[in-house]
Amino acid sequence: MKLVIDDTRCKGCNLCVMVCPYHIFQEGRTSNRRGIFVPELDRPERCTNCRLQPLYQRRLCGVCQMICPDQAISWLHEAPFEPHKVVIEY
Amino acid sequence: MSVEDWYRVDRLPHIFCAGCGNGTIINCTLEAVESLGWKIDETIFVSGIGCSSRAPGYISTDSLHTTHGRALPFATGVKMAKPNFNVVVFTGDGDLSAIGGNHFIHACRRNIDITVICMNNQIYGMTGGQGSPCTPKGALSTTTPYGMDENPFDLCELATAAGANYVARWTSYHVKELNQAITFGLQKPGLSFIEVLVQCPTNYGRRNKLRDVQSMISAMKDHALLKEKRDRLLAEGKPIPDGMFVVGTLTDRNRPALGVKQ
Repeated sequence: MKLVIDDTRCKGCNLCVMVCPYHIFQEGRTSNRRGIFVPELDRPERCTNCRLQPLYQRRLCGVCQMICPDQAISWLHEAPFEPHKVVIEY
Repeated sequence: MSVEDWYRVDRLPHIFCAGCGNGTIINCTLEAVESLGWKIDETIFVSGIGCSSRAPGYISTDSLHTTHGRALPFATGVKMAKPNFNVVVFTGDGDLSAIGGNHFIHACRRNIDITVICMNNQIYGMTGGQGSPCTPKGALSTTTPYGMDENPFDLCELATAAGANYVARWTSYHVKELNQAITFGLQKPGLSFIEVLVQCPTNYGRRNKLRDVQSMISAMKDHALLKEKRDRLLAEGKPIPDGMFVVGTLTDRNRPALGVKQ
């Protein structure tokens, strides 16, 4: 699975930056065409749902998607799925 | 079906301000509705007037955007005419407790089988930040420039006293718990009332030293006191810290209800 932010919906409130347990979302530094600072993704392959959703066949964690007031965060299916080694720091 | 199918995608992005928590509550509600496997054709969302009441306009089910404070009478009518339909009411604190207060207590008394989700942003957000019945004591707003000197409403206690079957309170920070509470409330026969405290950085936070979303969310997180912890503190005879509000499932009972699905 691949984590994506829809920058046509995001309003730059940075709530995802606050709630992500892995700090994947970082505050945006450049504004987009609509003048909104969309958060940047820092090594999104660390995301629990990206790594384990194909294994468990259900959504794991998902706090960023639920707290996003603008429905901008979603996961895309990647085909074929290749598990890769990820270093997790706590 | 996925949650995305419940949205009118052509209407997004919605008109809520950046950082407004109403979108979070729509997410949690639609997630709960989706997990229960309800059909789009058999679900109706009803709302009154206010920021929160814009919500059904972004949901692809049938919806009613009704007069100020009168969402509950319309929902009662829908439920009485179509008892097999699932009726959910989105409402705000000004809508529900100020102009619709009498309708609210009578809907609780009748115990109609609907779910009421109150997005309590503690202010009249859409009209420019006037003080509402839920504005906390001492808070600044455009109509209370020296601080609110009236006591706020406790909507959960009101619903419990008036006879609702299920009453819970959460904030827009507690998304998982809120999702569970809404899922439980949707399944419960009788009126289930879920109060959600939501951040309003534009009109409430700006005047109360909580200018950005992060500080509003952390203020809500720090002032939330779990019901279990409150009960433990009371049992031990310790004082409850000042300025805290109780979150959790406050009432869960099985009184006879009106209009339950056959």
